[in-house]
This record gives sequence, C-alpha cells and structure tokens, in this order.
Amino acid sequence: MNVRKLTAASIALCMLFPSLLALAGCAPETEEVLRVYNWEDYISAPSEGEDEGDYVDLIAKFEEEYEAETGKAIRVEYSTFGTNENMYNELKINPGAYDLVCPSDYMIMKMISEDMVEPFSDEFLRESNYARYGSPYIRDLFEANGWAEYAVPYMWGTMGYVYDPELSDTVEEDLSSWAGLWEQRYASVATIKDSVRDSYFLGVAYVYREELMQLKEQYGSPTLGDENFDEYNAKVTEIMNRTDEETIERTKDALLELKEHLYGFEVDSGKQDMVVGRISINFAWSGDAVYTMDDAEPYTDEDGVYHEGIYLNYIVPEECSNIWFDGWVMPKGAQNTEAAEAFVDFLSRPENAVANMNYIGYTSSVAGDAVFEEMVDWYAEGEAGDVDENGEPLVPYDLNYFFEGTGDGAYADGDYVIYVSAESAKRQISAQYPTEEVIARSAIMQHFDDATNAAVNEMWEEVKGLPIPLWAYIVIAAIAAAALVIGLSYMYKGKRAEPKPKKGYTRVS
Amino acid sequence: MVRVHFNRRQLCIPYGLFLALFVVIPMLLILFYAFTEEVDGILTFTFSNFLNFFTSTAKLSTLLMSFTVAIISTAICLAIAYPVAYILARSKLRRRNVLLMLFILPMWINFVLRITALRELLDLVGLLGTQNYLNTIIGMVYDFLPFMILPLYTTLEKLDESYLEAAADLGANPFTVFTKVTFPLSMPGVISGITMVFMPSMTNYVVSDTLSNFNITILGKLIDQYFTTYDNWHMGSMISIILLVIIFLTMLATGGFKDDGREARGANLW
Repeated sequence: MNVRKLTAASIALCMLFPSLLALAGCAPETEEVLRVYNWEDYISAPSEGEDEGDYVDLIAKFEEEYEAETGKAIRVEYSTFGTNENMYNELKINPGAYDLVCPSDYMIMKMISEDMVEPFSDEFLRESNYARYGSPYIRDLFEANGWAEYAVPYMWGTMGYVYDPELSDTVEEDLSSWAGLWEQRYASVATIKDSVRDSYFLGVAYVYREELMQLKEQYGSPTLGDENFDEYNAKVTEIMNRTDEETIERTKDALLELKEHLYGFEVDSGKQDMVVGRISINFAWSGDAVYTMDDAEPYTDEDGVYHEGIYLNYIVPEECSNIWFDGWVMPKGAQNTEAAEAFVDFLSRPENAVANMNYIGYTSSVAGDAVFEEMVDWYAEGEAGDVDENGEPLVPYDLNYFFEGTGDGAYADGDYVIYVSAESAKRQISAQYPTEEVIARSAIMQHFDDATNAAVNEMWEEVKGLPIPLWAYIVIAAIAAAALVIGLSYMYKGKRAEPKPKKGYTRVS
Repeated sequence: MVRVHFNRRQLCIPYGLFLALFVVIPMLLILFYAFTEEVDGILTFTFSNFLNFFTSTAKLSTLLMSFTVAIISTAICLAIAYPVAYILARSKLRRRNVLLMLFILPMWINFVLRITALRELLDLVGLLGTQNYLNTIIGMVYDFLPFMILPLYTTLEKLDESYLEAAADLGANPFTVFTKVTFPLSMPGVISGITMVFMPSMTNYVVSDTLSNFNITILGKLIDQYFTTYDNWHMGSMISIILLVIIFLTMLATGGFKDDGREARGANLW
C-alpha cells in the first residue's frame, strides 16, 4: 500500500472516530493532555447554564495559563468517580490511565503502601504555591505521617453533627457527646452516613466514649499547641482505630441499637432533608455541614424578598472527631507528571483555592491572605471589642494555627483572628475551620488491611441487613404453606384427571 | 453496480456478535469471578464465596427480605392489575386505548424521578421515615404495575369471546366461566406479568434506598455494595449468580419456560 493511500485511510478513520484522534496521532503534536480523576463536584467548574459570573472555571483557566506560561497547548481530560474504591479499581484495571487523582486519606495510605504513587519532584515540594501557601498545620501533619512527598492535600475537615438548635432545650448538651444520637427522644429525627468507615467511626466513638472522656480529663483538654498534644492525640488515634473482634462486635450492637430509632442512612439526601426540616440531626462531613447551614439560613434575595429559614448549628462532640483529607497524588504510570504538578501548583494558589471554596463549600488546605480575606468577608461581624445585635461582645475565632506564615504581609502572624457573635461561632465557621481544641481530639482513620476490612464490612452488612421483622417470617411461612397445598392438590388432581377407561369402551383420541 | 446479497445466516451475525459480547462473555466472567478468590495477588478456584453466602446471617436475611418484598409487591400488583386489565380488555369502551395509555404513561418518565417524587408524597402523608417496609412495597408496586397490566391486557384482549359464550351455553355461571375458562386462558399473561414484576422487585434498590432511607437492604443493593464499596467482585458475582438461579427456579416453578400457548410468547414481548 502506498503512503498516500495510508494517509487517506487514516484521515478517513479519524473523521469516523474523533475519539481516536489522539491515538492515531492526528492531533496537533503540540497539544499536551493532562488526565485528571477527581470526585464528582469537587472543583470549581460551573456547568453550562449555571451563572458563570459567580464562579470561575478553573479547568479552562488552567488551560489558558499553562499555554501562556509554557507556550504549549494543553487539554485537561477531566473525569470523576463516586467512591475511593471505584477509583482504586479503575487504577488497578487501567494503570497509567490518569496523571492525577484525588483519593481520601486512607486510600492515599493504601496506595503509598502498595507502591502505586509517584513522588512529587523536589522542585515542586520546595517552590510550588503549595510550599508557599499550604497551611503549616496541614503540611506538618503530612510530614509527620510520611505522605508529604506523595500527596498534596486538597480539601480537609472534621466530622460532627449538624443540628437544629430549636429541636429541644437540651439538644446542644446532648450532642456534645456522640451518645446523644442514641437518646430515645431523638427517634426518627436523625440520619447517619450510609458508609462503612464513617459509621464505624461513629460506633467506635460511642463504644469508647467513657474511656475517651477520661483520657481528655487526664490530659487536661489539651489544644493543638500544647506540649502534651502529640501524646494525647496519639492515644485518641489508637482508640479510634481499634479493629479487634470485641470492638467490632460492640460497634455492631451499638449501631443496630441506633438503627432501631434512626430516621435512616444517607449519602447525599441528608443535606436537603435537613434544609427542608425532614430531619433535625445529621451526622455529617464538615464541608457538607457548611453547605447545609448556608442553604437553610433565611435570606433576602436580589429583589428584596425575604425567604424564611432556620439557623442550624454544627458541633463536634467532646470525645473525639475524625479529621479527614483528600489529596492529589500522581499514580504510577502517569504520563504527564510535569503538567500534573503544574495543575496542583495552580490549584494551590490562594485565589484559586478561594474559587474552589466558593463553589464546593469545602475547606481548602491552602491558606494565604486571599483565603483569609475571603473568610473575613464571609464571617467577620466586626472588630475586637464590637458587640453583636444583642449587645453581647463578639468572640474571637482564632485561625492563626492555620494561616500563620502563609501571608504576603497584609496580616502579621497572630492577627489571623475573626470576630464573630457567640451564636455564629457555632455555625459555618466552626465547620469550616475546627478550633484547636477540636483538632487536638481529632484522629486520622488509618486504612484497614484486607482481613480487617472484611470483618468491618461483615459488621456493616449485618447492621444494614438486620433485623428481620416478625411479619416477614410469617409471610414466608404462609407462602411456603400455600405452595405446599397447591403442589399437593395438583398431584391429587393429576391422579384423578386420568381415570381408567371403563370396561367395554376404548378411548378414541 | 454490485448487488449485495445476504443469506439468513449472515443476517444473524450482528445479533450473534451482540449475544457473544454482551450476554455470553459477561456471564462467563461472572461465573469466573464467583468461583475464584484472590490470595496474594493470585486467583484461585474456590467454593468459599458460595459457602459464605449460605452461612452468613446478614446475607440470608437480605435474601429473605428481598424475597418477601418481591412476593408481596407481585401479589399486590396482580391483585390490582388483573381487574383493571380485565375491564379494559372486555369493555366496549371507545376510548380504551386512551385509558390503557394512562396506565403506561408513567413508564415514559424516568423512574428515579418518579421515585423521588413519591418520596415527597410519602413524606407529606407522614409515612416516610416511619413505615420503611410499607414505603418500599408501595414504591415497587407503583413502579412495576404497568409491567403487570400490559401482558395481562394483551392476553385477555386476544381471548376468543366464543369460548366464553360456549361455556355459558353449557350452563356455566359467570363465576365458573371466569374460574374455568378466562383465568386459565390468561395464565400466560399472569406468568409473564409475575416474572416481569418479581425479578426487578428483588433487585431494584433505588426504590428501597430512597423510600426506606437506606434502612432496608435488598439483594441488588448487596451486589452493588460488593462491587463499589466492599471492593470484593468475587462475592458480588456469587450473589448475582445465586440471584440468577433463584429467578430461574421461580420461572421454572411458574412454568414460564413452557412453550405452549402462543399468547405466552406474544405477551412476553412486553
């Protein structure tokens, strides 16, 4: 076959299958591709029809900036996943299919331990926006856990209860312990997560609540900066990561007991159910909590019309919490690590972190003045010494642990404090940035090995599949009996249906 | 000009390919996964998934629960659909096609949407969050009722009037005509309807999840869990196989494979 024929054929093929363009080499050679695999709805990229004036399309912005800086055109192939396990399977089946993925903490640990991730370059770790603006608290945490060179944190938060403070007089006090949910008076008003790990955490926290409180007392309720913080936090982490047989059994019983009066489990519907008032307590990720509280608040729209709403609160019970992260990693086999690093660098610029926080509501791991200013804009109700509308003095909400050392000079270290009313301190800001006391009692949940995973899954399966109501047994028994009767009657009929021909007659068929 | 001529065998090729690619090979893969397990990265043959299913309380309860939900839903569907289909088919209504259409119309709207709407409705009447089992059954019935009406309607409509007249002439009262002639002759429709409702009722977990607030687990949900969150494709495949066998046995028991009665085949088209 001559060359011209071959070219013609390949052009024809390309026209037929545009998706083959890249494979067939018909794409302009200068265009690079970056394949990003992220959670659904986890980046500021407004879809068509959404008000683009309010949100920045970070993917498009990155493509433009990358071309402007390097002179190379780039196309971001952006795909999404729904669970860590889906993402993991996809990577196992198709190694090298992505340049950049965004798993959660335990999955990052698993992937590092299985040697599935590529380290970030020294240059990136030294000089990127992440090195410059990443929150020192989170950077230290990643350093201490040995993930620093493999993963760049993206979003983070805690777990707690979102609740309606009007529900009862004692609701705040009740929910200051994880055990509050087990109170019979909160029957049919609360949901927990339909997710093994999160609900297991809740169960373990309930089972060991007394031990955790003793520990806290023993250490005198330390905060992040205290010298016994590390020791206390390590102990909390040990308790919250227990997976021995007895713990699993007790957790199962606790969750089954809870299930009896729970409204239900949810993964996504909890937010909306809280907003419309179907439920009044929701075990939630802090990012979802912010979203829920925002959505439920009364507000006045552009036309000056007042919309009714409720002010919800967020609380992290006194015993402990789970601190979680999602982070960018480059899986082994990534083809364009350079662009992947450029993308993470781009996302770690404070102004882009602000765009993300605006769009998805979760808290970025990136600090910096731009982020702090946005937070002041969102939450500050005045300066030090001001009073709120009831004449009560504003309380300081100290964010220095998160922002210190990341500023460009607009704020001095120690000035990262937002003044809010005592009421507001229980709302969005407490979910957006946990206080140092909350951080001290927040444990990272490790990844389970295969055997533990199987045991915990088995536990969860029983929580979800049991108990069977009595009437179900009765129905089944009735059906079995009916089937038996019908079967027997058929057999009897079958015998009767073909009587032997009477003598003297022959059957004509 | 070249005349293209295909013989019958060649015309079967597209469907044969489809069958191989989307039916046979996936089935073999499921079988393969169901009877293997991964030990240190190596796949080995095993019966452990099978044994595990029948020794696990959680799985057996889920099976029992799905079975109960499916049977009750099917029974209710049949009880509602038969009179409707009968009246529709036997009436001389000029606009019966319009009526029939009203029953089928909901099928043209995405069922996730319908179930979400139903959730709001159940909340309005105060059932949501308290009556999980009832809600699930209501959802299944609501969702699958058209699948019961249609095959029944097609069989009953094609029923030859002269059989009924003959029965009446021979002295049968209307009740006997129904029990001895109409009902037996509509069996193919009944069976087809039952299979159309029973099978999805055991697996349609969107309904149970949405309307019971994830309180009720049915087999379909369990399979989904094994594939997406428990990350154990082997057990997931095993449950799929077991479900397949159960459905096969149910069909065998109801005579769904019998080849007699052309109506049966016609009705099965739905």
